[in-house]
Amino acid sequence: MNALPIDLDLAWESLPALFDGLMVTVFLTALPLIIGLALAFPICFARMSPRRALALPAEIFVVFFRGAPLLILLYLVYYGLGQIEALRNGPFWIVFGSPFGCAIVALSLNHAAYMVEVLRGSLLAVPHGIVEASEALGITRRNIFLWVRMPLALRYGLKAYQNEVVSFVKGTAIVSVVTITDLMAVANSIFEQTYDPFTPILCAAAFYWAFVNLIRVGFTVWGRWLSRHNAEDAPLAIPAGQALQGLAGRAKVTP
Amino acid sequence: MIPRPHAAEPAAEPAILLAQVVKRYGAHRALAGVDLQVRRGEKVVICGPSGSGKSTLIRCINALERHDAGRIVVNGIALTNDEGTVQDIRQEVGMVFQHFNLFPHLTALENCMLAPRLNRGLSKAQAEKLAMAHLERVHLADQARKYPARLSGGQQQRVAIARALCMEPRILLFDEPTSALDPEMVKEVLGVIEELAASGVTMICVTHEMGFARRVADRCVFMDRGEIVEEGDAARFFEAPESERLRHFLAQILR
Amino acid sequence: MTNLSLADLAGYLRQLGEGALITLELFFASFALAFVLGVLIGVATLSRSRLVRAAWRVYASIFMGVPSLLVIFLIFYGGSAMLAAVLGEFGARIDISPFGAGVAALGIVYSAYVAELVRGAIENLPKGQFEGARALAIPPFIMWGRVILPQVMRLALPGLVNVWSFMLKETPLVSLAGLQDLVAAAKIAAGATKEPFIFFVATALVFIAFSAASLWLANRLEERLDRGQRRAPVRSPAQAEA
Ligand SMILES: Nc1ncnc2c1ncn2[C@@H]1O[C@H](COP(=O)(O)OP(=O)(O)OP(=O)(O)O)[C@@H](O)[C@H]1O
Ligand SMILES: [Mg+2]
Repeated sequence: MNALPIDLDLAWESLPALFDGLMVTVFLTALPLIIGLALAFPICFARMSPRRALALPAEIFVVFFRGAPLLILLYLVYYGLGQIEALRNGPFWIVFGSPFGCAIVALSLNHAAYMVEVLRGSLLAVPHGIVEASEALGITRRNIFLWVRMPLALRYGLKAYQNEVVSFVKGTAIVSVVTITDLMAVANSIFEQTYDPFTPILCAAAFYWAFVNLIRVGFTVWGRWLSRHNAEDAPLAIPAGQALQGLAGRAKVTP
Repeated sequence: MIPRPHAAEPAAEPAILLAQVVKRYGAHRALAGVDLQVRRGEKVVICGPSGSGKSTLIRCINALERHDAGRIVVNGIALTNDEGTVQDIRQEVGMVFQHFNLFPHLTALENCMLAPRLNRGLSKAQAEKLAMAHLERVHLADQARKYPARLSGGQQQRVAIARALCMEPRILLFDEPTSALDPEMVKEVLGVIEELAASGVTMICVTHEMGFARRVADRCVFMDRGEIVEEGDAARFFEAPESERLRHFLAQILR
Repeated sequence: MTNLSLADLAGYLRQLGEGALITLELFFASFALAFVLGVLIGVATLSRSRLVRAAWRVYASIFMGVPSLLVIFLIFYGGSAMLAAVLGEFGARIDISPFGAGVAALGIVYSAYVAELVRGAIENLPKGQFEGARALAIPPFIMWGRVILPQVMRLALPGLVNVWSFMLKETPLVSLAGLQDLVAAAKIAAGATKEPFIFFVATALVFIAFSAASLWLANRLEERLDRGQRRAPVRSPAQAEA
């Protein structure tokens, strides 16, 4: 046993395959991030609505898709939805019939549920007085949302959003259970061929680490750009009572 | 700049009319049947103990709070639940808050440009010209490119005044515009408001600054427990208060 | 339920129950390990030494930057070899079970998060705490045990609750290393009965219910700790600007 548990030759040989796996992981991150965010907005509005008939279903959605482990969601979509006759014969079978489609659906729903809470917390963090000042200026509700509430919510919620995206990336590592060859799956298959327990997994770890930290850097740059208006100050003060930091990976923004 | 009352309009019509206005918070009556008429161009100062309903009163005028009973007419427009009516009234009424409520993500100039651009569809150049003119009026042209976090309290409040002026309202409401300021900044803000007062705009100002009231107010109004207890011209109001409650109140703030 | 006899159902339910028990054991063991490791690491890395701080940064960066599943596989496949390297001949004979790999992996990964919470909480303590204890000549051991750590726990509690509920949702990952936990049992039952929808939804609901119950408990605990902290309920001052 040499000092380094890594077989450099094997690592070099595996690089192309691992890189392909990384691309799959990137794809499985990007698409659900977009779909999940798009879903999160309407659900968040429903969740914040004073009308019970809107708020309750939205809340149930959040509790279920946030509370259920991702692995179970993936099994549920992959194995469970095929049971539904109407779905199997309907046009959406293109999505639900393929592992990729199922993974994207499960990941998107999960991400949407988390993002509803991130969004809600960030919107609630916008000081009420500033919204009132906009109302007093006669700005319409839609414009207040677009030009005042959303830009401020983005600043308050950026950290929580970053935490969610980062842990979402790590969460995608399970998609190999539905036969998708993402980065984790490639590392596993190399292990199964070579019985080298360290080289493929540690190489995959390096890829994941780089990807995650690239995202972190991106968010840091974005945050710095957003808070240029008080660059010399501490980052935009967050109103007390809003726990926006999610140290446990996926942020919990509920006050 | 601030449009003067048009000669063509019937002089008899008041700028603001409140008749038997009631506002409830649960069982508590914040406004218990308030009658008030403000002539065009008149300057009214409202004072009264904390919790007497001063803020509630002026916030009802531009529908930041909805009144429960009674009639409110602003510039001839009767305030109803109709969203369009509310919007119309808000175009006519500017408001300045105790805590400035500037948009922290926009520069002083952009703070002033937002409402004209969104509400009146002004081009960027037009809005900028308008905003600069009003920033000049509050003596802040040189600070136009700064973000609120970089400005002193007094400067922030003057930006807030300029922001309200940019909608060219015929009526201005001030809710304790100087009570969140350090003493040395009170003067600069009151000075700006006094200059505005000379321009003929209709003004209601909640304040306990008695020197300001004497210099500017055509009429002083004393509120207590949701009612108007006494009103009169500034000199008589302070020197010869009629009601026991006002005497008591004046004795307290003068101590 | 179309083709599920009562006896079959009972059988599957028993398997699910056994699986749930294993999931619970795994979860509690992992959380305990993460907590103990995290507090130790958090306290130990507060030192001013550059080297210690750099080591902490590397540790945190690695375990917060890779998927838990990857760490589970690493320990499950490579654990024996690692033990052999550390313990020699004796270590090589230790077989790593999925359960052991899961506890070790989740414990190590989440210890980084716990350590970060603990460090944040200690840094937020008023500096007077340390000086006061030193002035009274309270021995360090007692100072940490009786004065500092209880307050740290109170400050870190909301974050720990986050770690708790997030870790719970990652326990099913260990089934991918072969652990016969709740999720594995549900998968077997789902496949055998051809009723995947019901079994997976039910499993999800078990997790949600457990999570909700523990959140409820945590809130009670937080309230109690807060009450001990405040002397008298502070009267809210009249609203300056309603
Ligand atoms: N949103 C609200 N919910 C419940 N009660 C309210 C609300 N806003 C105001 N009130 C109550 O209505 C009453 C009048 O409040 P208001 O803010 O108008 O007083 P104020 O005269 O402006 O006092 P201050 O000088 O402190 O600003 C107070 O008793 C206050 O507690
Ligand atoms: Mg007030």
